[in-house]
Amino acid sequence: MTRCIIIGKTNVGKTLFTINFAEFLGLKKINVVLEYHDGSQHSRSYTIREARTYLTDPLPHKTLCLQIVTVNIPKGKGKKKIKLIDTSGLINGIHPDENIRKAISQTLANVRTADLILHIVDAAVIPKNGIVETLGEIDYQIAQFGQMKYGYALLANKMDLPEAERGLDKLREEFKGIYIIPVSALHKQGFNEVKKFVSRNI
Amino acid sequence: MSNIKNNSLINYKEVLDMLERGQITTAEAFVLFRELEEEQVLLRLEKNEEKLMSLDEITRELDSLIGLDKAKKLVKEIKAFVEIQKKREEEKLNTEPIVLHMIFRGNPGTGKTTVARILGKIFKEMGILEKGHLIEVERADLVGEFIGHTAQKTRDQIRKALGGILFIDEAYSLARGGEKDFGKEAIDTLVKAMEDYKDNLILILAGYQKEMEEFLNTNPGLRSRFPIQIDFEDYSIDELIKISKLMLEKREYKLSKGAEKKLRKILEQKRFKNQDKVGNARLVRNLIEKAIRMQAVRLVNKKNVSRQDLIYIQDGDLVGVDEI
Repeated sequence: MTRCIIIGKTNVGKTLFTINFAEFLGLKKINVVLEYHDGSQHSRSYTIREARTYLTDPLPHKTLCLQIVTVNIPKGKGKKKIKLIDTSGLINGIHPDENIRKAISQTLANVRTADLILHIVDAAVIPKNGIVETLGEIDYQIAQFGQMKYGYALLANKMDLPEAERGLDKLREEFKGIYIIPVSALHKQGFNEVKKFVSRNI
Repeated sequence: MSNIKNNSLINYKEVLDMLERGQITTAEAFVLFRELEEEQVLLRLEKNEEKLMSLDEITRELDSLIGLDKAKKLVKEIKAFVEIQKKREEEKLNTEPIVLHMIFRGNPGTGKTTVARILGKIFKEMGILEKGHLIEVERADLVGEFIGHTAQKTRDQIRKALGGILFIDEAYSLARGGEKDFGKEAIDTLVKAMEDYKDNLILILAGYQKEMEEFLNTNPGLRSRFPIQIDFEDYSIDELIKISKLMLEKREYKLSKGAEKKLRKILEQKRFKNQDKVGNARLVRNLIEKAIRMQAVRLVNKKNVSRQDLIYIQDGDLVGVDEI
């Protein structure tokens, strides 16, 4: 099955994006398979609302394993099942906690084998902190790696916030030639374009 | 970091281990990944060159399709024509321009997309197209909602199809909305692209026979730009049965004698009831997939299921399929 991985730094909205995108694609209930670093797996079923409550959190590193949701993407005249893989947030530098480092390593192992990469950044904080400071080395490296792969898109998230528009302009300047989709994970804006991008690349 | 880089024996596992041990940052891991990826790409390129399907293999793939006699014949004609034009060119003789835009007419499920995909591979092998891939679009992919949007959208699709085939399904829907509709803008953009990229893009317009004919009649300029026209006829009942058997064989199932009779009856009834709206190969696929599920339902509560039970689809399994 096609694997579409969602990556980015902590608290850019990866998990909320995954849940809301799954809902956007027609899921009423989501069945999340949690896959841990040591290979063990659990499966849990949530309503969309429960998922939003239990799986997202304003504190960083809420997600410490892969959270895999299977969704249907329209393709040609039919539909195709793909796996959305929500991951642990990536950070600049080296994290002191070994468990988090393991989770990050697990994320990277899956980035390598994924068929599609959706890389999320927070467009709203860019104008305030400056683009280089906001993104740091890690986002640049993800982007460079992503470009080598076949299906890579940069999602500029939090477009519902007023500052995000300027952040988006900055991103477009900085990442020329990269496919950027402005989205609001919270309000499900831009999801149609993401859906089309995924559909084109599977 | 720099000494790690120079060590070409490093593999992905080691990168991840270093990351876990806190020896490198995530960003550095990505740098290493990229280098490994580059190596892999080089290796893959070498392998791919060996793996490319030869022209013979692709022709065999086409021949292995059931029915489609007209299409097969025409593909062979086109192949021969292109080869001879190339030979003439080598001998400095006058050559006919190779215009390969096509019109595919036929009901849904008659193999239009499949043939287009194979043509792409053939043209790639013959050096006519650079990539030979197929981009399948319909009205919604080409026509926008406001002024200027359509040309942009259409050009995007064209760009994606460059080096391959742009396959427009139900092409007549572009002319559906009359003079003021943006569909016309899409047609104009396509015509222009046919000129601009005449060496690196093939356009295929596809759709129902009758609607295609009307479309070409109302746009007389178009017909002459599409010199190749292939009619895809409905499969005969026998061909549909063969197709179902092939589909089942691939999944390691078989039809029992009774089930085959039943299938034939269903297909005949379908054809009789709605003459030209039959889903053809697609209907067969739905029937088969449903039957496989019905077989599973039948067997799931049965004790002592034999290998034969698991393989055979019985006539009873085709019961619930009438509603499709």
